[in-house]
Parts: sequence; structure tokens; C-alpha cells
Amino acid sequence: MDDSIIIMMLCVSIFLGAVALFAFLWAIKNGQFDDEEKFLNATKFDGEDELNDAVSQENKRRDLKKDYRPE
Amino acid sequence: MNLSDNIACSHCNLEFSQSVMIEDGEHFFCCNGCKGVFHLLSDSGLESFYTKAGSTTLTPPTKQYENSSNFNSKAFYSKFVRVNSDGFSEVSLIIEGIHCSACVWLNEKVLHKMDGVIEATINYTNNKAIIVWADSVIKLSEIIDMVRAIGYNAFPYDATLQEAHANKERKEYYLRMAVAIFASMNIMWIAIAQYAGYFTGITQEIKTILNLAEWFLATPVLFYSGWVFFRGSYFGLKNHVVNMDLLVATGASLTYVYSIYITLLEQGEAYFDSVSMIITFVLIGKFLEILSKKNVADTLDILGNHLPSEINIIKEGQIVSCKLTDVLVDDIVVVSSGERVLIDGEIIKGSGSFDESNLTGESEPIYKSVGEHVISGTISIDADIHFRATKDFEHSTLSNLVSLLETAINKKPKIQQMANRLSEHFSTTILALSFVTFIVWWAWPHSFETSLMIGISVIVIACPCALALATPVATLVGLSLGAKKGILFKEAAQLETMAKVDTLVLDKTGTLTLGKPEVLKEHIYEEFDKKLLFSLVKSSKHPVACGIYKYINESNTNQEGIILDEYTQVPACGISAKYMGLELLGGNLKLMQNNNIEVDYSNENTIFYFAIDNRVVAIYELSDTIKSNAKEMVANLKNRGIEIIMLTGDNAHIAQKVATEVGIELYMSEQTPQDKLAYIEKLQEQKRTIVMVGDGVNDILALARADIGIVMGSGSDIAVDIGDVVLLNDSLQSLEDAFKISRTTYQLIKQNLGISLLYNAVTIPLAMAGYIIPLIAAISMSLSSLLVVGNSMRIKIKWTKG
Repeated sequence: MDDSIIIMMLCVSIFLGAVALFAFLWAIKNGQFDDEEKFLNATKFDGEDELNDAVSQENKRRDLKKDYRPE
Repeated sequence: MNLSDNIACSHCNLEFSQSVMIEDGEHFFCCNGCKGVFHLLSDSGLESFYTKAGSTTLTPPTKQYENSSNFNSKAFYSKFVRVNSDGFSEVSLIIEGIHCSACVWLNEKVLHKMDGVIEATINYTNNKAIIVWADSVIKLSEIIDMVRAIGYNAFPYDATLQEAHANKERKEYYLRMAVAIFASMNIMWIAIAQYAGYFTGITQEIKTILNLAEWFLATPVLFYSGWVFFRGSYFGLKNHVVNMDLLVATGASLTYVYSIYITLLEQGEAYFDSVSMIITFVLIGKFLEILSKKNVADTLDILGNHLPSEINIIKEGQIVSCKLTDVLVDDIVVVSSGERVLIDGEIIKGSGSFDESNLTGESEPIYKSVGEHVISGTISIDADIHFRATKDFEHSTLSNLVSLLETAINKKPKIQQMANRLSEHFSTTILALSFVTFIVWWAWPHSFETSLMIGISVIVIACPCALALATPVATLVGLSLGAKKGILFKEAAQLETMAKVDTLVLDKTGTLTLGKPEVLKEHIYEEFDKKLLFSLVKSSKHPVACGIYKYINESNTNQEGIILDEYTQVPACGISAKYMGLELLGGNLKLMQNNNIEVDYSNENTIFYFAIDNRVVAIYELSDTIKSNAKEMVANLKNRGIEIIMLTGDNAHIAQKVATEVGIELYMSEQTPQDKLAYIEKLQEQKRTIVMVGDGVNDILALARADIGIVMGSGSDIAVDIGDVVLLNDSLQSLEDAFKISRTTYQLIKQNLGISLLYNAVTIPLAMAGYIIPLIAAISMSLSSLLVVGNSMRIKIKWTKG
């Protein structure tokens, strides 16, 4: 058997697994699993309104931040 | 009128009869508070809250709050408000009144709609919120007012304490475990190829490729996930202790270095799978321990969070607010109804009732007037008073109580867990054995590589995995058994401590007894309409009135209430009312004397007199009753060799009666919270291990100081927070079960440690003789861990069945 095939298979599978692992680590760091109740109920509160709300919060943050200069 | 006529309030969903509801179009409200919130929500387009909340009932927003402007004071900002890197202000709040996830949604939405609020995140599980806002646009008081306006309440807490630290640590472990488990699983399937090759033949090229892949995967496990062990062994060595961390760190890194050497040399067997497996298993064990650790910080928060930092005093005829710590002796302090007294003093103007349950456990409100002393920590129920401070804040009862509690918590004895003591010796022995093995093999002429490999194999086979898992797995079984029986152990280590307990200290009221007076005897002197008495006691929240209400309700069926006129509660005396020209009086001896009614009946029980038109028609004797299986529990625990002592705030007479009835020989009466604390300390000086059982705020000092504090679930919030074990169903049967479970768990820990030591006793000599190949090392590691887990499961199944 060609060695390079084994190398390739190992690299690809470990890489794919690593992508999933990093996504998971990012989610933990981001606090997505901090509140299990909220996490489980998330589908109930996930609609167009929530997206709009998130965007408007982002805008508010940006607008207010513009005027800020660290002293 | 029957129940089906009741309709639910459009806001809070509580059901009331239609006649008392406020009608507003198609909606009905139970109070103006609910109506206000409903309109507020409809106006801001948040009606979908009601569909999200479904049939959850909410608390009607009827509370009146003190002015929120003191949230804007400098003192408050410096204590609770942080400025984050973007220049926004940030505060941690606890939101009161959250019932369901829709409440969380509503609070977040309402706050997001406010100008200047950047972020509002509320945790449903613990009701804690983090709010970020631009202070130039909006003030904190406006944010808090908004939360209050929609029917919730918010108060700040200091999040920089241990709790935040504990959460961070837990998160860090999640990350490290995720990496370790991911890498180990991948290494395992590569290892399968290695082992298959070991038996059926494999070319050196393929072997090297597989080794390189394993090397790549094992590196983050050792240096990222395994970092905790390096850190742990460094701190251990600094304190001259050889701990388990050192064994794991040395074992794993030696194996790692040796495997790299093998890989580069392209001959022999690499051990990368052992490296990652050791780290992963022991890390899981460590994580389980951390998961079941209690944090003290929250408790102190709760005591402190109701303390405003400012207080109103009178200076030159004006009411001004000043810092709590700036109040001097002889300053005049103003307290209005609903406020908490923060400084000890003597009333100079006004009168009213105070709730002293925080300090004495006494549930009855106490009436105080000019000349009497008010104690800090009590809450004014209906009193608007001016009082002269007799002490400054530092020396006031409340401040003393908080600092006493802090010391009590810090002084709580810590019993070192058996596994920790054991692992010290274990680690030293293994490291020494491995070194000796290496020297002997080398001296007996063998090649350096062979000797090193055998030396390392001793460390690897001595797998600390089973040892590291022995205690956490056993305590997890104990915790889950407890949870099933309504016993909540807050920290795993307490199971082990509790198994060693030899003294049980009990509080009387609410622990041995029900804490609610019940009618023992009824003396009727003149026939009267029971409806009158029934209606009189029905609306009172006083425990005696509740006891009589319950008695009449049980002894006579179909009691109906009638409407009484001029219904008044006389503080600390009883109730008076009128019905069709009849004067009704119900209450204690004082009430009778005040109305010039002569009575000559008294004994040690609580007596309730009922008079119509100034003639006593009935007398009820009430007394606190002992819980059903108290006697049995006391006897059973005595058989287990535990000494039982009763401490109570009540007088000697009642204490003796209860003690003899349940069979306790040793008891102390008229104990203040400080006395109870002192008593526990005295027992601890005699090297005793003590369980304190209580339910009230008057027990908290003792609960905090005792080796184990057990609290009845219905006890006061602070007591439940301080306690190490909570009995959710308040029953004394659970108390006995708690002892049983802790002892079983301790047995299990001993068995598990025994298994792992026995395992080592067999495999270490084999390793020293050089009979261990990588496959056997890997299998034995898993097998010993499985044995420990299996043994724990056996106990669990046995308990669940029996």
C-alpha cells in the first residue's frame, strides 16, 4: 500500500475532527453552554424578532462606542 | 360561589372570583400592578410574552420600592459598577421574580429596548444578570426602575468574588477535557492499527507514520490538557509535598519523551496512547471533584446584598442621606415602613411592629415604641420611626453577625480526604520503585533503552487512573442516592466527613418539632357560632391564628366565612372585630387584660382566648408538636453510636418536655445564636466531629461552624445557603438516610481505593520484572478504571433496588 494514502487519510480525518473540536471550543468560550435552561429553550426564542433585536443592539453598541476615547 | 367562577388575571394568571377583579375591556386584572404591567408591555409591542409564558403564574407587582436614586450614588458605583474596555459600565444583578424562560426573555427584551443599554444577559438557572450600558445616556437607577416596573426586582451583587472564579475554573476544565477526549479518541483508533501490526506484522515506515500522527495528537493533551498537573505538582513541590499531580506529570512526560525517542529512532514501541489516556482519565476524575465543590461566596453575597450603602439621618432639622459607615453614635436615623434597620438604636419618635425573625428565629412580629431598642438586621413592618443610634455600623448587631459568619465559615474544620492522604504515599513509592527498577536493570547489564523503558513502564502501569477515579465516582453515587431521597449534599467531600461524625446537635423548633402551633385542647364555656371565630382567624397570618383556623377547618365541615366589620389586628395581642353589634375579641392574655376581661386560666401552653361582648366563651390551648418519627430517629442514631444534643432558644420548661419525649438526655435551653456557636466550638475543642441540624437564621452561625450543617428545606433562605446538606422534605427520616448514605459512600471509597491498590500490587511487580508490553499496559489501565466504576455501580443498583 502506498504510504502517502495513509498520510493523506490521517491528515484529512484529523483535520475534519479538529474543525469540529475548535467549533465546540469556540462555543464553550462564547458562553453558549453557560445556562443549560436557556440553551434548551433556545428554539422557543429564536425568530426574526430576535435577529432584528441582535442587529439593533450591535448598532447601538457601535454608535455609542464611536464617541468613546480612552482617557 | 364555587371555584369555576374564578377567572385568571390577564397578567399574572392567578385565579380570583370575577367580582373582585378589575375589568378593562376584554381583560381582567387582580390588581392595578398587573394592569399597569400589561399595558406597559402592550404599548411596547411585547404582548407575545403572554403566549411564551403560557399558563405560568407570576407574582403580582404590588410591592412598593424605596427610591432607586441611591443606586446612582458614588458609593454604590464604586462598589458594584465596573467599566469595561469599551468604556461602558457593567453591573451584575440578581433578578427576583423569574418563574420561567419567558420572564428571562421579557426582561432582556425590555432592557434592550431602552436607549443606552448595550447588553442584558440573564441566566435562567441562577437568575443572575449582567447589564452593560452607556452611563452618558442612561443611569443605573432608570434600568432598575424599568425592571421593577414590569413586576420584577433587581439588586446588585459583587461578581468579582469566588463565584466568578469558580465558574471560570469550570469552563477551563471543559475546554481542557474537550481537547483531551478528542485527542484520546483519535489516538485510540490509530493505536488499534499499531496493535494489529504488533501481532500480524507491520512495516517500519507505516509504524513511523502512525507514531508521528499519535505524537501530533498527544502533544496538546500533554501540554494543554495536562497543564493542570504540571501546575499542581509545582505548587505541591513548593510546599514539600509529593502529590498525585507529580506522579501523573512525571509519568506522562517521561513516557512522552521516551516515545519521541522511539519514533525518531524508528525501532521499538511508542507509548503515546498511554500518555493521552492517563491525562484524560485523571483529568475527568479531577473535574468530577471540582463539579461537586460548593462555593461559599454566594452565601455572603446574599447577606450583603440587601444592605444599602446609604442611610437617611436628620441633620439640622433636615433629612439627609449619608454613608452607612459615616453614621456616628447619637445621630438620629430615619426608618420608614418596609425598610431594614441597619444600625442599633433607641426609638425617640414613632412606633410599630418589627420582624425579628432574622436574628431570633421568632416568627411573631414584635411591637416597639418610644424608648425601646431596635436591633440592626430587623425589618420594620409598619413602623415609621426616628431613632437615636447607640452604636456605629461597625459595632452594630448586623455588622457583627456578618463578620461572625465570615469567621465561622473560614474556621470550619477541613477533614483531609482519605484519597489525598493515600496518594501522597502512593506517588512517592511509585516514583522510587520506578527509579530503583531502572538502576537495577541498567546495572544488571542491559541497554540504556531497555532499562529506561522498563522503568517507565512501572510508572505507566501504576496507573493513577483508578486511584484518581476511586473517590469521585463513589461520591457521585452517594450524591445521586441522596438526591433521590430528597437529600442535597452540596459538596462531595462532605459525604466522607459525615461518615465520621460522632455528635449530632439538633435545633428544636422546625427541626424536631413542626414549628407550627397546633390546638391541643378546646374549652368551650358558652355555646357560640363557630363561624364567628372561623372568620376572625381566617385572615390573620399569625401562626396561632393559623393553628386555630386549621383546627376548626378539620373538626367542622362546611365552614363558611362571614364578613366582619372593623376588623383590626392589635399588634402583639390579637384580633378584634364586630359582627351585627357583637364585639369579637381573639388573642392572648394581654388583649383580655387591655379590655378589662378577667381570666384565670393559664399553663405552659400557648393560650388563645375568644371573647364575645367582653365574655370569654372559649379557650384554646396550643402547642408546637413533635414530628412523627422523631423518637424513632433518635433511638436509631443512638444505636449507631452518635451522641445527640438539643439546643434551643426556648425556655427550659419546653426544652425539657420535648427532650424527654423524644429521648434526648442532653439539652441546652435559652440559647442565642452566639451561644449555639460557642457550644459547637467547645465540642470541637474536644476533637469531636459534629453535625448541626437547624432551619432558622438563629442557627446560621452554628451551622456554618459545625463540620456539617444540615438544613431543613423549608428553613430560611440564608440558612439553606449556609448549610452543607439540605433535607428537601424536612423529614427526620431523611436525616437518618443522610447518615446511612454517607456511611455507605465512605465504605465504597475504601473499597475502590482497595481495588486500585490491589491492582497495583499485582501489576507493579510484573512491570518491574519487565513483562509488560504496551498493549497490556493500555488494557490494564482501562480495566482497573472499569473495575472501580463497576463496583460503584453495583452499590448504586443495590441501593436503588432495596
